[in-house]
Amino acid sequence: CCGLLAALSLHITFSLSLSLSLSLSLSLSLSLSLSLAFCSQDIRNTVGNIPMEWYKDYPHIGYDLDGKKIFKPIRNKDELDEFLDKMENPDYWRTIHDKMTGTDVCLSDEQVDLVHRLQQGKFGDVNFNEYEPAIDFFSNEVMIHPVTNRPADKRSFIPSLIEKEKVGKLVHAIKMGWIKPRRPKETAPQYYDLWAKEDPNAILGRHKMHIPAPKMRLPGHEESYNPPPEYLLTDEERQVWEQQDPDERKLSFLPQKYLSLRAVPAFSRFIQERFERCLDLYLCPRQRKMRVNVNPEDLIPKLPRPRDLQPFPTLQSLVYHGHSSLIRSISISPSGQWLVSGSDDCTVRFWEVCTTRCLKTMEVGGPVKSVAWNPAPSISLVAVSYGENVILVNPGLGDRLICSATDQLISSYEEPEEVKDQQVQWAVPEGKAQEQGQRLILTHPKAVKQVSWHGRGDYLACVMPDDGSSLQVVIHQVSRRRTQNPFHRNKGAVQCVSFHPSRPYFLVATQRYVRVYNLIKQELTKKLMANCKWISSMAVHPGGDNVICGSYDCRLAWFDLDLSTKPYKVLRHHKKALRGVAYHKHYPLFASGSDDGTVIVCHGMVYNDLLQNPLIVPVKVLKGHIITHDLGVLDVAFHPTQPWVFSSGADGTVRLFT
Amino acid sequence: MSQLQARFFTDNKKYVIDDVPFSIPAVSEITDLSNVINKLLEGKNGDHKHVEFDFLVQGQFLRSSLATHLETENISTEEVVEIEYVEKYTAPQPEECIMHDDWISSVEADSEWILTGSYDKTARIWSLEGKAVATVAGHTDVVKGVAWVKRDGLSSLLLTASLDQTVLLWEWSSERNKLRARHCCRGHAGSVDTISVDPTRSKFCSGSWDKMLKIWSAVPTEEEEEEEEESNRPRKKQKTEQLGPTRTPLMTLSGHTEAVSSVLWMDTEELCSASWDHTIRLWDAETGSQKNMLTGSKVFNCISYSPLCHRLATGSTDRHVRLWDPRSKDGSLVLLSLTSHTGWVTAVRWSPSHEQQLISGSLDNLVKLWDTRSCKAPLYDLAAHEDKVLCADWTDCGLILSGGADNKLYTYRYSACLSDAGA
Repeated sequence: CCGLLAALSLHITFSLSLSLSLSLSLSLSLSLSLSLAFCSQDIRNTVGNIPMEWYKDYPHIGYDLDGKKIFKPIRNKDELDEFLDKMENPDYWRTIHDKMTGTDVCLSDEQVDLVHRLQQGKFGDVNFNEYEPAIDFFSNEVMIHPVTNRPADKRSFIPSLIEKEKVGKLVHAIKMGWIKPRRPKETAPQYYDLWAKEDPNAILGRHKMHIPAPKMRLPGHEESYNPPPEYLLTDEERQVWEQQDPDERKLSFLPQKYLSLRAVPAFSRFIQERFERCLDLYLCPRQRKMRVNVNPEDLIPKLPRPRDLQPFPTLQSLVYHGHSSLIRSISISPSGQWLVSGSDDCTVRFWEVCTTRCLKTMEVGGPVKSVAWNPAPSISLVAVSYGENVILVNPGLGDRLICSATDQLISSYEEPEEVKDQQVQWAVPEGKAQEQGQRLILTHPKAVKQVSWHGRGDYLACVMPDDGSSLQVVIHQVSRRRTQNPFHRNKGAVQCVSFHPSRPYFLVATQRYVRVYNLIKQELTKKLMANCKWISSMAVHPGGDNVICGSYDCRLAWFDLDLSTKPYKVLRHHKKALRGVAYHKHYPLFASGSDDGTVIVCHGMVYNDLLQNPLIVPVKVLKGHIITHDLGVLDVAFHPTQPWVFSSGADGTVRLFT
Repeated sequence: MSQLQARFFTDNKKYVIDDVPFSIPAVSEITDLSNVINKLLEGKNGDHKHVEFDFLVQGQFLRSSLATHLETENISTEEVVEIEYVEKYTAPQPEECIMHDDWISSVEADSEWILTGSYDKTARIWSLEGKAVATVAGHTDVVKGVAWVKRDGLSSLLLTASLDQTVLLWEWSSERNKLRARHCCRGHAGSVDTISVDPTRSKFCSGSWDKMLKIWSAVPTEEEEEEEEESNRPRKKQKTEQLGPTRTPLMTLSGHTEAVSSVLWMDTEELCSASWDHTIRLWDAETGSQKNMLTGSKVFNCISYSPLCHRLATGSTDRHVRLWDPRSKDGSLVLLSLTSHTGWVTAVRWSPSHEQQLISGSLDNLVKLWDTRSCKAPLYDLAAHEDKVLCADWTDCGLILSGGADNKLYTYRYSACLSDAGA
């Protein structure tokens, strides 16, 4: 039986399914086509290799060699018996159920060993040596006696037609492009530069902008171990060096001389120096400053050259000497023949413009603050303010008819029946004053700083600066000897006033603002913000739409009344406070006089076209006045017909620039 | 270039030398050249006395070394340089200094008497030696212009114009030294700054600050009828009567837009006026129409006309003396600018006898004598005044006068022009 099993084990094939039910989780299904005869009688089932479930419902299990039914053994074991058997039977693990016969077979030790060996993939036969030495039946050497004596085939030396046909088909297919002889290699490189296409202007681009670290200063002669003697410090220098703060020292060490390099000791400050170097590297700014590359000349607005804008005054031509103190105010007669100047030496002088001849000197009772020639050509009157008085003077120059007509105009006044109580006293001077030409004296309650005529010549505005007072500006009507106070309240201290040349407007400059009042409607039309601290002077363009303001903080503001209430342009050419500004009547010129002793003449072209802004070009700085008591030019005025400018100064002269 | 070829020539027969080119050093100046000519003349005739010469190269006076002059004038040195030589003008000799009480606004002299107008409201008559002869007082304001009208024998007629808007015509007999105001010319509405008497001595023209030119008759007339009503006149009128009958203008020429600063007669029928409106206008004195206008760029202060060279000279408020050709049709041809003054030019006067010489007075206290052949630098600076020069005159007899704000009237004798003109 054992020999049979051994032989059987050699011929196990796939067709053999050994169904072994092993208790130790050895679950082998060994379907033995041969009925294993563990006992003496050979019970062999002849049903073949069929699923034994087919006989499940039958009492038999197959047929033996004689064709008789093999009956299933009587099985009365239930699950519990099975379990108890499993627990108690020591051979349970080697008991297998033979499906073909339906009996339980207990495997012997040899059989279990065989199963183990088969499971391990070994030969069943223990004695079989699978590595027996090989015996060559044929040798690679050509023997005298070949194994076969058959001659070589013809096809072994004739090229194969079949192969030729196959190759031909391949070649044709390659030619036609149906197949590719070689697959093209992947051209994409395996590795690539991640930052090759990066935009240097991107946010992270700056990391790429390499800024080299600041270099260390190279050692010089003084660092040498054997410096030239001029680098060695003398004792005095050494003392100075020691007394200095470490930050102030020019050298951070003392140059020292050694006989040889061998004698140089170790550098004691090495770590400190390295640390400082590291600090330097760490703290040094590593930012590239993007400087805006703008040609400075491009920023300058394109202005015409001054010499294309002629005529304008360029040279000092005449000097009017005579006053002994500073001249606060000048005014030119409408004809341009005479000049009047009022000075702190309590005199008013009348000059002939073209010869600098002083034709008349009139003494008044105080330093003259302001003079103004009546702009009407048919009236010959000059308003002079000193102290609290304003006197109207008939200078008696120019046309005799006009002078006498003016006198007549003033003397023809008749007292009205009901005399109103006025704040200003009108008086007619007598005696010498009358002979000198004084025609009317107006006594104000306060000191009068400025007088300004209306263009028609009948109205005269006087300024009495006093912050918070209700009486700062009065307007006199000369022909009716009447005084009005146009403002019940004044905001701020009034600096200067001016009548509008063509419209019924009245301009009042306080320290910071210029207010334009409509005299007919009696309302505030405009309030100009000068953007300066203290307005000193004001002039209205003869066209009426532009105003310039000089201020004590060196600025000149040009207002375009149609444009805005803010300055159209602010000029800061003067170094010191501006004292006077003036427009020319005909030429596009304006001038400003300042405490720095200069008069700056600017070309100020106003176009009729409302869309075109005024063209303002500074054309000339006129020097001449000597600065006296920190005061330079106090007033400027233009000649009415010629492009000439007069300036009066603290040095007691009036100068004419042509 | 150390030597150059030069040929010298002259119009003066007295000093003619041979017409051959000489090789002279290029750096030679006037004195060197003058010495050369003198040597040559001595060689020609032994009794030659040393004469200083002046040299002209292509009509321009030589004022620097020959080389620099040729370089600035752009004259080729390769060819023979033609050099004209004339006897050097001697400097004007100062003669008199006549003191006044006030600024001198105007001066006019003839062969015997000097008439000056002053800011002390008077005009004065002086002899050429500086002796005060008469004082013309009558104006109520500054006298701005004076003019002699006529001098026949012992009685003369003279004019004074003033800031009081009148021109007074006076008769002065030099024998009795008696002055009489013959007429008071009223009509101007501004100060009368300038007067000019026409060549026939029968009319005069006045220019005023009121932009007008007025032509008046200069012939005194006896009008007796008005004197009868003398008693019932107000005092002011009486005063005017003392100044003679009022005279009204024959003609008024209007056209200037600014004050008239200077007026003159070019001939009997043509007037010329300069004004503050930057124009010179030429007028027909017969019809009163404007004939021509020359436009400048600055205010004109003064004008002078030379009948010898037919040119106008003007002084303006910009340091330059300009020469004009009044016959040019385009109206603005400045022939030449004489620039050396540093102030306004207030007076110009052509030489009455020399066609190329003129004087100019300026506010820079200088009177300059010019030759138009040397426009860069004047011939002589007459630096006597201590203040502004306001007026200048040049008489036929070679006397240069200038008055100014230093109250002094200076006279100079300038004879070189005579000898040159005679040559």
